[in-house]
Amino acid sequence: MFIQILNGIVYGGLLYLLAVGLVLIFGLREVVNFAHGSLFMVGAYLGFTVAAMGYWWGGLLVSVVAMAIVGCMLDAAVFRTLRKQDHIVTVLVTFGILLILETTVTAIWGKAYLTYPVPRLLAGTVDIGSSPFPIYRLFVIAVSVAVALSLSAWLRYTRTGLYIRAASTDARVTAMQGINVDRLSLIVVGLGTALAGLSGVVAGPLLSLSPTMGNYILIDSFIVVVIGGLGSFAGAFAAALLIGQIHNFGAVYLPWASTVLPFLLMVAILIWRPTGFAGSRT
Amino acid sequence: MSTIAHGAAATVRRKPLAGAALFVTTAVALAVGVALPWLVPTKIAMSLLAQAMFDALLATSVGFLILQNGRVSFGQAAFFGLGGYSVGVLIARHWVAPEVAVLIAIILPTLVAFLLGLVIARITGVAHAMLTLAVGQAFYEVVFRWRELAKGDDGMSFNLPRHLFGLSASGLQDPAVMMVLAWTILVLVLFALALFARSRIGQIAAAIRDNEERARFLGYSTMLPRALVYAIAAFIAAIAGVLSACYNGYIAPQMFHWSVSGFALIMAIIGGAKFIIGPAIGAVVLFYIKDYAGQFAEYWPAIVGIILVVVTLTMPRGVVGLAATLWKMRGR
Repeated sequence: MFIQILNGIVYGGLLYLLAVGLVLIFGLREVVNFAHGSLFMVGAYLGFTVAAMGYWWGGLLVSVVAMAIVGCMLDAAVFRTLRKQDHIVTVLVTFGILLILETTVTAIWGKAYLTYPVPRLLAGTVDIGSSPFPIYRLFVIAVSVAVALSLSAWLRYTRTGLYIRAASTDARVTAMQGINVDRLSLIVVGLGTALAGLSGVVAGPLLSLSPTMGNYILIDSFIVVVIGGLGSFAGAFAAALLIGQIHNFGAVYLPWASTVLPFLLMVAILIWRPTGFAGSRT
Repeated sequence: MSTIAHGAAATVRRKPLAGAALFVTTAVALAVGVALPWLVPTKIAMSLLAQAMFDALLATSVGFLILQNGRVSFGQAAFFGLGGYSVGVLIARHWVAPEVAVLIAIILPTLVAFLLGLVIARITGVAHAMLTLAVGQAFYEVVFRWRELAKGDDGMSFNLPRHLFGLSASGLQDPAVMMVLAWTILVLVLFALALFARSRIGQIAAAIRDNEERARFLGYSTMLPRALVYAIAAFIAAIAGVLSACYNGYIAPQMFHWSVSGFALIMAIIGGAKFIIGPAIGAVVLFYIKDYAGQFAEYWPAIVGIILVVVTLTMPRGVVGLAATLWKMRGR
């Protein structure tokens, strides 16, 4: 039972890493990045390639840095250029990017499933209660908790964090106060996609690598973002943990319904509160 | 603001085609449809045209939702698949007469969309896109896992009955017949949508799209017209699903997949979602580009992605919008 809860937290943690990136980007640019799942996937492949050379931690670093750069380019080339257009135009462009990335990865690495190794340092299991539990999964939990804590501390206690919270509330008024929202957005989008890369590498050994691996988890993180209330960090955290538990307990106790449960929950919550747990600003 | 979802106002207010012109265009298009078997040289070309018509119907469904409701859907394949699966499963299992199966396959998605529309229509913009994507994918997951229904992931072939509505049903799998049938249905659908846009309820739906609060203040119920637009859009998608399932004699979860929804949306945008005929044109254009790109089929999604990015950046009103602009500039 306790093991089940832990497994749920593992998946919830991965979802949180993706969902919080979506929330960050949404806060500044008011668009949902449909390419987020494919950045997760590209991050995993990059990490895999470096890890295959024997540098697991190097792969993690390369993937996070590369995705941060991609995110900055994405913001400068797409989000900033299209900021005066209807937001749905930007969403469509990110969808186009998704298609391009998926095809590119298929062309380079092929369609076959690849197995991402677990780093030597984190191989093996520990006994929790009386059952063994992979150390690597504890590591995944630790990573997501560390990200959640440092992110909220950063947003709460630093000047940049203050600006980001202000711009998420109202980008235009924040710009009027003399804050360069475009530069802020560069940081935020870069951070959001770097988290997608991090999440991809961390998830690599748990899922098998394929060019479509990002789609399933992207949809789950959409559900998390919608349930949590678009643009809410705390909402995303709570919703990610909830969906993680539902995903896991559903798979164990209600296998026939497990994949549909999150959708049903989402529709139910939207009927009850159309703006999600924490409300939204759309 | 140049917009896809909200800026459609001008088009509808202008009343796209005046009454007489609309009827004449429709009559000509129907006549062309009848002449198609003599115009299209080979079986392969006929089959391609028939499939392009399925795409055109689905894209029209997505585009209509944008045009009339201002809602961008990433999950329209749900109704395409629901139509196809209803007809496939009901005919394969002989639970009801085949004619009834076809009717159920069209009515059920329409009803589901109406009920969903009551809930989903309240959500706007980007959240709506995410929500429809998730709902569509939920349907995919169900048919994918539920092996008893139609063999899950493998998909299921089924045999058409001998007769359908008193006619020989084998024609549905003959490219020549299906091409004319699908063309005719598409023309009639576009004609009906043009009439709807000009009707009172269509104008109310457009008013709600532009400003829901204002429409409510004017005393209109805003819930029902919006749900009605969802139902009509699903009705069109369901027809496409039924035609496609019957033509192929095969149903598979891929019919529900979000890539189907996404491609339909892309076709609508490339063609120009501010025009009733835009999505259909976009679908046909894209379909034939795909055919010519044959040897690069492997990279097709990337090609579509690039076309999409280029079109959204350079011609926000799509191919038809570009044509309309050029037409206005003629002689100047």
